[in-house]
Amino acid sequence: MKVLAAGVVPLLLVLHWKHGAGSPIPITPVNATCATRHPCHSNLMNQIRNQLLQLNSSANALFILYYTAQGEPFPNNLDKLCSPNVTDFPPFHANGTEKARLVELYRIIAYLGASLGNITRDQKVLNPNALSLHSKLNATVDVMRGLLSNVLCRLCSKYHVAHVDVAYGPDTSGKDVFQKKKLGCQLLGKYKQVIAVVAQAF
Amino acid sequence: MLFQIQISRMKTSNVIWVGNYSTVVKRDPVLHWSWKSELPLECATHFVRMRSRVDDAKIPEPRFWSNWSSWKEADAQKSLGRDPLFLFPKDKLVEEGSNVTICYISRNQQDNISCYLEGQQIHGEQLDSNVSAFKLNKVSFIRKTGTNIFCKVDQKDVIKGIVLFVSKVLEEPKDFSCETQDFKTLMCTWDPGTDTSLPKRSSQSYTLFESFSGKKILCEHKNSCNWQVDSDSQEMYNFTLMAENALGNRSVSVLFSLTHRVHPKTPYNLFLKNVSGTKATVTWKVHPIGNYSTLLCQLDLLGEGNVIQQHNVSIKENGEYLLSELEPDTEYMARVRCADANHFWKWSGSISQKFVTAEAAPSEALDVWRNVKSVSGHPTVTLFWKPLSKLHANGKILSYNVIVENLDRPSRLEVHSVPATANGTELTLDQYSYQIHVTALNSAGPSPASVIVVSGDPGNEEAEEERINGTEDGFSVSWKPQSRKAIGYVVEWCDHPQDLPCDLQWKNLSSNTTSTVISSGAFRPGVRYNFRIYEISTERMANLLEKKAGYLKELAPSDNPQVVVSNLTSHSFTLSWKDYSTDSQPGFIQGYYVYLRSKAEKECHPGFKKATLSDKSACCQHRIDNPEQKTFVMENLQPESVYEFLVTPYTSAGSGPVDTFTKVTTPDEYSHILIRIILPMIICVLLIMITCYLKSQWMKEKCYPDIPDPYKSNVLSLIKSKENPHLTIMNVSDCVPDAIEVIHKPEGSKIQFLGASKSLTETEFTKPAYLYLLPAEKNYSGPGPCICFENLTYNEAAADSGSCGHFPVTPQAPPSQPGPLTSPENLLKALEKNYMNSLGEIAAGEASVNYVSQLASQMSGDKDGLPTNPPEPVHCSEYKMQMAIPLGLASPPPAENSGLSSTTPLDQSEHYR
Repeated sequence: MKVLAAGVVPLLLVLHWKHGAGSPIPITPVNATCATRHPCHSNLMNQIRNQLLQLNSSANALFILYYTAQGEPFPNNLDKLCSPNVTDFPPFHANGTEKARLVELYRIIAYLGASLGNITRDQKVLNPNALSLHSKLNATVDVMRGLLSNVLCRLCSKYHVAHVDVAYGPDTSGKDVFQKKKLGCQLLGKYKQVIAVVAQAF
Repeated sequence: MLFQIQISRMKTSNVIWVGNYSTVVKRDPVLHWSWKSELPLECATHFVRMRSRVDDAKIPEPRFWSNWSSWKEADAQKSLGRDPLFLFPKDKLVEEGSNVTICYISRNQQDNISCYLEGQQIHGEQLDSNVSAFKLNKVSFIRKTGTNIFCKVDQKDVIKGIVLFVSKVLEEPKDFSCETQDFKTLMCTWDPGTDTSLPKRSSQSYTLFESFSGKKILCEHKNSCNWQVDSDSQEMYNFTLMAENALGNRSVSVLFSLTHRVHPKTPYNLFLKNVSGTKATVTWKVHPIGNYSTLLCQLDLLGEGNVIQQHNVSIKENGEYLLSELEPDTEYMARVRCADANHFWKWSGSISQKFVTAEAAPSEALDVWRNVKSVSGHPTVTLFWKPLSKLHANGKILSYNVIVENLDRPSRLEVHSVPATANGTELTLDQYSYQIHVTALNSAGPSPASVIVVSGDPGNEEAEEERINGTEDGFSVSWKPQSRKAIGYVVEWCDHPQDLPCDLQWKNLSSNTTSTVISSGAFRPGVRYNFRIYEISTERMANLLEKKAGYLKELAPSDNPQVVVSNLTSHSFTLSWKDYSTDSQPGFIQGYYVYLRSKAEKECHPGFKKATLSDKSACCQHRIDNPEQKTFVMENLQPESVYEFLVTPYTSAGSGPVDTFTKVTTPDEYSHILIRIILPMIICVLLIMITCYLKSQWMKEKCYPDIPDPYKSNVLSLIKSKENPHLTIMNVSDCVPDAIEVIHKPEGSKIQFLGASKSLTETEFTKPAYLYLLPAEKNYSGPGPCICFENLTYNEAAADSGSCGHFPVTPQAPPSQPGPLTSPENLLKALEKNYMNSLGEIAAGEASVNYVSQLASQMSGDKDGLPTNPPEPVHCSEYKMQMAIPLGLASPPPAENSGLSSTTPLDQSEHYR
């Protein structure tokens, strides 16, 4: 799986910045202690739930804005061009333990954050005048960044998990423009579908 | 070497292109040559082969071609994946107006594939079983973000698309020029035209190349570039500007001498000095250009945005100019710009400065007019003047001075100061002539005086009014001069004659003028304007010459007069509308139309003609041509008929509204006669009744007094003379009471009596005791059971008949007492019986004593005479029972009892008392 450096690196730097940042995220030894830079919020789970609800409430509008901005044939062929069949999307099991669900949530949000970063970058080039779409994409990425931080805090403080292996979506930089539009639409369709399940699980 | 290249598509025999490529071949060369296919190479296999030949002039002819190389195959389809559908080319960038070919490759020949561009299906050419190509001719620019072109496999969830980017055509730079401000830097500018940038494709870039020096620079901006002038040695410059983008380039060149492209910098330090009412000095500075350059500066003087004066000044560095012929108290603007005096290229930027000249005394006298009227016997003069124009005011007017001089009696001058905001003043004078001087004052002094003479005696201000017609230009007014001494004329009118104040206007005209056109923006159609023409005498006194009245355009009257109906008879009535003012109408009233309609009459009366109204109904119309005739008599009408009429005025523009008719019903033909007879009769009867009422006492005493005076009775004398000369009036002293009836009844019986009269017969009744006071003759057999006396005054009817007639005794006798009542017992029984009935009737249970009075009715001398003929009807007087009864049970008052003595219609039985 390729890692899209241009869109993901700034996000990862923000999320994982510390002294010596810029190096790859170290794999925490099994018995290594977990430390956070700041004390976690007292009502962390509530914070996570609210952020999920916020994402869930705006996901559909973001999806509509996106496919409308791409022009025909996207709005009238959503099932063919924007179907949420993203094969390498991280799984989520709603009936798992809280720890397992938080780990899966972390992977999903990391995946989505990177993909949305790529979409935002592409759309700023392909649709420079779609300011509303840009704004909503940026807002979603911002919430995801905060959610990722909270989930990591929770994992670290309660379950002493300092590292989670994550996977990212396909790199779209080399794709043709139509393919970029299509991949973005599929990703947002998948996001809309998944975030509803995840928000319900928490 | 010269290479000939062949390219085939699909199969080697299908050669689609042949071309030559010439190049110098060195040792171990790797030559590169490229060819762009119109059809995307992915969609079809292409083949290429070449041959070569020496292409060197040193080598003599003949030169032979080598053999063709073997065909080389370029098959891009092999590298494609296993997707069911591919669409090419991807992200193609083309210039607007060019042709583009797109193609798709389908893996399944059975699939039905349709392709769309901007929602419209496009149709192409099938190259082979799997490949189709679409040629788009002269593609147009739609949007910068590209155009989606997609193909879909019907009945499958497969859509493939590409984005085609169409760029605007790169334009040649326009208005390319270079200039210098300081001989150090050349600034080249141009108009870049349309921006050709696209997503992922930057806009066009610009490169400036100077051919003499061979220098080339990449411009930082899209529309300008700075070129450094290195030394004074280069005089001529040849610049080429090249615009370039991904699809091509455009260029433009310019050749010039540096000294001919001098564009000076904007002057600075512009000041105004020594500003007076009519003059001002302007100074400014310029940036020097070289050591020997001279600048030509243009100085403009602007007033109210327009250039009033323009001056050219040649300077090196400092400029100065004296502006003259300025207007006092006026705002001006001085503006300066400069250019190279030797080789004009461009004006520099402008610098400007506003200034206001000083004030001066007003240069012109006020235009003054007057209106004289008499208020409480004193002539009151209202002066009007028009504000001085800015040109003549020469400053801010602070006030107006009005000086009044009595021409008939030398006296002190009256000076009135009027505020600057006023346009007039009012003066109360007396019966002398006055000369009035009016001046306007500003800070620099007064204006020349405007003089007008007003006579205390207005004289005859009347003149016959003439009518004039207005046109689009106004009113054409002309007059006839009356004297040769006139120094001018004034035409006076009101702009708003219907308002108060009416906005008095006037126009001064010279003495040799006898006509003018009065125009005003305030003039409106349908408004009457009155013009007065005054002659101004040498004494500056105004005399009314003529009066004119007219309309800019006459309109039809909007209202009808209020018509009063009078003198209504069965055959005529009169209409009058005397309150209708003809002067305040929207046109000159020329007359009136009188409309009359009636259901009863189909034909019009003489003088009327048939007319059809707007609602198609018919009526009769009479035209009155005299506008001052405001009455009209409708004649020859039918009695008891309903007529409808309408009076509407008319002007030259038409008549008033014909809408609401007024109904009049003519009365009956004889009703007035009846009224003439019946009304006096009713009045007479009323008078008689009133007289009778007022003299009722006198009438009563005369005709029917309450107590008749027998001695005054005419009847008495009549009877005396005709029948019985001995008949006299009875004296009261002659009456002898004949019986007293004493009734005693127990208390217990009272309830019985109060119960019901019928129970009396069933109740044991205590027999009352009677004190019998009848005369001693027990065998008295009088003429009947009653004793009558004749009172002729009291009952004339009885006297006439000779019988009282109320007592037919025999038939009235009850059956239980069949015997005659001549005996005292019988009489007593009868009395008892009737008395008991009477008690029951009047419920006189409380009575304890009753007395019956029977008065002897006959004079003593006539006692024997009267009863001599018993069967004859007895002359009797009414017999009245007198009872002492309790007040509560005595229902009829005594007065009424007495009144009833002769008229109360009692039953026969009740007369037995």
